[in-house]
Amino acid sequence: MSQHHHYTWPRLPDVRHRVACEYCDTLHEVDLIEEGREAHCLECGFVLYRNRPSSLQKAVAFGTTALSLFVLVMWFPFISMNAQGNLSEVSIPGAVAALWREGGQLIAISVALFVIVFPAALIASLLYLCLPLLFGRSFPGSRRVMRWFLGVQSWVMVEVFFLGAIVSLLKLIKLADVQLGIGFWSSAGLMICLAGAVGGIDRTELWDRIETSEFNGKEKS
Amino acid sequence: MTRSALELDLAACHSCHKVSDIKNPECPRCGAHLHARKPASISRCLAFGLTGILAYIPANLLPIMVVTQLGTREKSTILGGVATFWEMKAYPVAITIFIASVMIPGLKFVALAVLCAAAKGKINLPPQSSNKIYYLTELVGRWSMVDVFVVAILVGLIQLGNLMSIEPGTAAIAFGLMVILTMLSAHAFDPRLIWDRIRKESPTNPSSK
Repeated sequence: MSQHHHYTWPRLPDVRHRVACEYCDTLHEVDLIEEGREAHCLECGFVLYRNRPSSLQKAVAFGTTALSLFVLVMWFPFISMNAQGNLSEVSIPGAVAALWREGGQLIAISVALFVIVFPAALIASLLYLCLPLLFGRSFPGSRRVMRWFLGVQSWVMVEVFFLGAIVSLLKLIKLADVQLGIGFWSSAGLMICLAGAVGGIDRTELWDRIETSEFNGKEKS
Repeated sequence: MTRSALELDLAACHSCHKVSDIKNPECPRCGAHLHARKPASISRCLAFGLTGILAYIPANLLPIMVVTQLGTREKSTILGGVATFWEMKAYPVAITIFIASVMIPGLKFVALAVLCAAAKGKINLPPQSSNKIYYLTELVGRWSMVDVFVVAILVGLIQLGNLMSIEPGTAAIAFGLMVILTMLSAHAFDPRLIWDRIRKESPTNPSSK
């Protein structure tokens, strides 16, 4: 496959680039592949790595959009309700505070982790890694931040919370006059942006870029 | 059959997936502890899974929230909620809740038990199917948390004093715990163990592909 006409990503010279399949441990050499293509395991067929088109730009664009939507989600109510003249509304921090007051402290903590802390950590770590990489640099501690970025992913549950809001809405619709707030719509956008940001850049590529930028930084100094 | 990293004395880091010499105590790239396979994978998978089953019982039997309306307290369980939606003829919602909160956790326990049995060689499972089972188990686990979030939203929204108020029930804690435990159980399982067994049983067989 020609590597000259298609953009790939930079990687360290004089290093053996190998990858073992996560499922069956079959060892492969990492060949650079064309944009938009995926490399599959020869034994079990599982995806080993991908080359996403304009991955860094996408990660940064989705990441910054996710950050602004995250602020909106935290600030504005998800659902507001009018039950016989009683107005009430709920935001995510509001729900956490109410759970804490009503004796559900453990649930309050888990909701806060899965819907506030971990999503915030995911967005922050993504931007911390990808913003400087756009200019071929990396911030100090990038390797540690990358580990957090990879570790926190399966514990981010914005999309599950969104489904929860839909179910709640359907539970309430017969009882009262309910309306969806800015928080709800922002979380729909946040959900899409997080998926775009995380799915938009392959971790093999991200690691290669971090290592290359650190290597180049050392060369210059 | 193709060679695995382990057969070549190499190990892929569990955190960053860099392949390096198995003798390294730490991953040279990210600094995580290096081990060829997740340590005590099956024991940890089973331990988390069994604890998850223990939490699954109160999660479905005890009230997930308590509704106080004009002085009367009414406890509602997950299955009760499914039944209410069914009676309201809101079938898609009833089915969604039933699948996410009752079926998925139940199937997850079965899936993890099957995977552990296959890794131990107790049952014969085509490795491609075990890959799919593991992939799906990892994918769907989080969605069971939906019930806990519904409780969070309803408790946050409905605090109307004497008119109507909602408190979280004991099942909400059990439910959240159950979801976290099944996710930890799936994380602890190492799908490579199943392939290790196949490699051991047919060392000379070339790959069928």
